[in-house]
Amino acid sequence: MMMIVVTKEDFSVDGVLNELRSREMGALVTFVGLVRGRSQGRDVDRIEIQVYEEMAKAQLEAIREEAMEKYGVEEVAIVHRYGSLKVSENIMMIAVGAGHRPEGFEACRFVLERIKESVPIWKKEITPEGDFWVEGEEHGRKD
Amino acid sequence: MRVKVRYFASIRDRIGLDQEEVETPSGTTLGALYDELKATHEVLGEWNRVLLAVNGEYMEPDQSLSEGDVVAVFPPVSGG
Repeated sequence: MMMIVVTKEDFSVDGVLNELRSREMGALVTFVGLVRGRSQGRDVDRIEIQVYEEMAKAQLEAIREEAMEKYGVEEVAIVHRYGSLKVSENIMMIAVGAGHRPEGFEACRFVLERIKESVPIWKKEITPEGDFWVEGEEHGRKD
Repeated sequence: MRVKVRYFASIRDRIGLDQEEVETPSGTTLGALYDELKATHEVLGEWNRVLLAVNGEYMEPDQSLSEGDVVAVFPPVSGG
């Protein structure tokens, strides 16, 4: 199985989990990110996700390896979509296979926070009031 | 030397370009190239913080560039 996937297509959460299972795992900690129908006080019709694909894949692979080493988990899979996504669709998924739950939860949180910091992917919210880029937690724009 | 510059997300929309080839003196640093880009595209001044990568890796402004490098200019990321 490919442990890092960047795709326009939707994915099956069960499909990813079933490919990840192994004898060493006592826990599969899973995070699934969805398109929220409301953001920053506005209704959202859909979102568009842009990706710098080559760099994003390399960054995701580095985060995966860092998480496995740092937390000693068995396996990490990351799927992230791009393109046009409707409200409630899957945006991304992280699955961490671990011997036990503590390191599984910690590794999953670590992977998510690192993605939000450093993987070159951007969301644009398409709303009745116009289109708005979401710019990281550090707010790129001065206004 | 020539380098390729790629723009993403809100910066791509504001500049109106996905990418461009830029001629710059040999040995130019990433920071110096970015200053040249800001002079050409004044809208870059609208961002407090811009991330810069060379050949798909984040680099510091003192990084020297080489012929054919691909420089990426983009706002803070919002994936996940």
